[in-house]
Amino acid sequence: MEYTCLVIVGTLLVIILDVILKTHLFKQKIFWIYLGIIVVLMFVVNGYLTWRPIVIYNESKMLGIRLFTIPVEDFFFGFSLIGLNLIIWEFFNKKIKNINNK
Amino acid sequence: MKFEYLIVMLFTVSVPFIKSFSPEINFYKPLNRFVFAMLIPFVLFVTIDIIAVIRDLWTFNPDYVIGIYFFGLPLEEVSFFIFVPFACIFTWETVKYLAKRQKGSA
Repeated sequence: MEYTCLVIVGTLLVIILDVILKTHLFKQKIFWIYLGIIVVLMFVVNGYLTWRPIVIYNESKMLGIRLFTIPVEDFFFGFSLIGLNLIIWEFFNKKIKNINNK
Repeated sequence: MKFEYLIVMLFTVSVPFIKSFSPEINFYKPLNRFVFAMLIPFVLFVTIDIIAVIRDLWTFNPDYVIGIYFFGLPLEEVSFFIFVPFACIFTWETVKYLAKRQKGSA
């Protein structure tokens, strides 16, 4: 369950980071609409990578539950990656706004 | 086909890359926002990926990569952590822009 544990920790860390940096990304309705779009796109790209398969997973280190051909852990891995990207991005957006308002 | 993973990556980034220069979005301004949002997750996730391959969490099918490796990661996998965040941040800005525009016209 190493991959499973890794993505749980990753997911929790980005949720905490969102609170600490006060970006409040996950509180916004628009973020969840956006995430819905990303999940659809993810089914295309990650779906292809796991269907061929271009990436081969070690089933003994994960739950073994897949949506289509994508391991459930991948969705949380993706969430952590995109979450971290957008938190840093929005952190700078907020800083810039604050400077402009002063 | 050796180029398959590379083609998937170029497909992913193609439209966002071309559209990222459109003036409505102002994607690269300011530049430090872009550099940090790309660089910090890149270093972190490539490191995790290198360890994951060493720990045998996953491997890459040699039939579908061109064969250039970086600490056990195919070049395509390294490019994943540039192209996918790029496409995702771009999509985020687009969704925000469209929401704002819709609100403005209502």
